[in-house]
Amino acid sequence: MASRVLVRCVRSLARPSARLCAGNVTLRAAAAPLPLTQRSFSLLSCNQRTRQTEQTRVPGSLVQVCRQYGDLPPLTLEMIQDRVMYVLKLYDKINPEKLQVASHFMKDLGLDSLDQVEIIMAMEDEFGFEIPDAEAEKLMTPEEIVQYIADKKDVYE
Amino acid sequence: MASSRLPTATFSLKQFLQRQKVLGLYRTMLRTIRQVPNENDRKYLRDWARDEFQRNKGATDQDAIRMMITQANMHLQDLQKSLALAKS
Repeated sequence: MASRVLVRCVRSLARPSARLCAGNVTLRAAAAPLPLTQRSFSLLSCNQRTRQTEQTRVPGSLVQVCRQYGDLPPLTLEMIQDRVMYVLKLYDKINPEKLQVASHFMKDLGLDSLDQVEIIMAMEDEFGFEIPDAEAEKLMTPEEIVQYIADKKDVYE
Repeated sequence: MASSRLPTATFSLKQFLQRQKVLGLYRTMLRTIRQVPNENDRKYLRDWARDEFQRNKGATDQDAIRMMITQANMHLQDLQKSLALAKS
């Protein structure tokens, strides 16, 4: 029984290896360093698997490597400002009617320093990067936040 | 006289540094809480942290503030430890 399986494996090895030499360069490169005598059973089964996948695939020249990258529309200053203002409007302690681009969080909007910390954290969530503490303390108006994010993301007019 | 030009409510350097420390602590706290997986727990913890900080907002005694900072650090470590355990 075992010998029969072995024979079948060797036969299946002979066919795909021919095809490998003709076709796929990378697969051939992977198989080449191993001398024939050292091919273990796991390699045989591996070869069988490649044969199966090769059969299900369309012929090599038609296969295109398809890469999918995340795509975002490029940031503009207006877009950053819209997003900043949107986050601020959703923040429950800010009165949306009083909110201006230039309004100071503490002097004009009556927030305290803890609120300011929370706002900066919300901005981090929205734009997906961390703002270091030293910078975060200086951001006191929506304008400054927009400017800071634009600088960090390399957005210039 | 430079000092007479300063407004009366100006912090001394020590107070100022302490204030930075407290705000930094609050920020670290929020960052840690952000890793809590459950939405409701996250909200609960955020409100709790906020309440604690707010409640002691008027504290002026430096030693008391230092004690509270230590206590907050302990809470923070607890939280980080249980988060690390929950993840492993």
